[in-house]
Amino acid sequence: MAFDYEKYLRMDKIPHLWCPGCGIGVVLKAMLRAMENVNWERNDTAFVSGIGCTSRAPGYIDCNTLHTTHGRGLTFATGIKMAQPDKNLVIFSGDGDATAIGGNHFIHACRRNIDMTLIVVNNNIYGMTGGQHSPTTPIGFKASTTIYGNVDPSFDICLLARAAGATYVARSTVNKGRTLEQYIQRGFENKGFSVIEAVSNCHTQFGRKNNMSDPISSRKWIEDREIPLAKARDMKAEDLKNMVITGEFITEKSDLERWENYNRAEKEYTEAYSDIIKKVKKK
Amino acid sequence: MSEKIKLPDGFRSWEADVKIGKKEDKVTIGHWAEGCKGCAICVDVCPKKVWKLIEAKNKWNGQLVIVDKPDACIKCMLCEIHCPDFCIKIF
Repeated sequence: MAFDYEKYLRMDKIPHLWCPGCGIGVVLKAMLRAMENVNWERNDTAFVSGIGCTSRAPGYIDCNTLHTTHGRGLTFATGIKMAQPDKNLVIFSGDGDATAIGGNHFIHACRRNIDMTLIVVNNNIYGMTGGQHSPTTPIGFKASTTIYGNVDPSFDICLLARAAGATYVARSTVNKGRTLEQYIQRGFENKGFSVIEAVSNCHTQFGRKNNMSDPISSRKWIEDREIPLAKARDMKAEDLKNMVITGEFITEKSDLERWENYNRAEKEYTEAYSDIIKKVKKK
Repeated sequence: MSEKIKLPDGFRSWEADVKIGKKEDKVTIGHWAEGCKGCAICVDVCPKKVWKLIEAKNKWNGQLVIVDKPDACIKCMLCEIHCPDFCIKIF
């Protein structure tokens, strides 16, 4: 049966302004389905975004929404969560927004393990501002600031979040709408900081400079590079160059080594904070 | 399905009797032409070639999709999940 997206959308603002075939629409739909699955009330949920193509997403959702400054979606969301710890927080962010301009906020939000869900839509470029290369542009690919090919190695957002201490980390692509929905749902259910990276297509800015200017070929490019995590474990490092490894990097029952876990947060941030307040008040 | 399916305003609907495996079923495909930007993702993901790309006058890229073969639909919902513009509904 068809899903009733109209229930969650500001229909007077639809059709949205994203380019024809943009993957953010797919991610937004997956997120709305996940929200229905976990039965979140619209009044108890807040959507926060920074700047970029993804920052438009909360504008289309009929919930409590906030559009903030570049890269600072996480900081505003932390403020909301500290003031009202019982509310559900979702942050929509792009790869440039989360890992370049808000990179510091990103790793520190992971470290604190505050109960929020960050959805990073990774399209390998700064789409809205004119196609500058971002921290996730693969080596050798062209952008408007790297016209002869990019030389900077790229960030792995999932491994970064894992190292910084997030408690649920997963990656999927826009070609797999159902998997994305499942991962986002698990992120919502996780009590702690969850990062879901959705590898998306930007054929308008990234594709046009790299010979895939339509959504179909852009999506095909992502599909061809996709390797499941279980398969990637047995592969050589050279074969994994510029590949997209998908799967759940950290779950509640993760198979992490003990030393990897040694300085992780034991409690969720707002809980730990309220414990401190109680302790001080007793004195 | 005895009850009447209610599509949102502006949706054009195609109805057909389909056979999914050995099961007889009814399908209603709804498409919102005003919001469709003609990205042709539905044409690409559909395993049964239900959708067809046509030229049309609109403010996007001059393309639009229509339902070509509604009776081929197997209700896999791929087009509904992957339409970025909230334009497709399958019942």
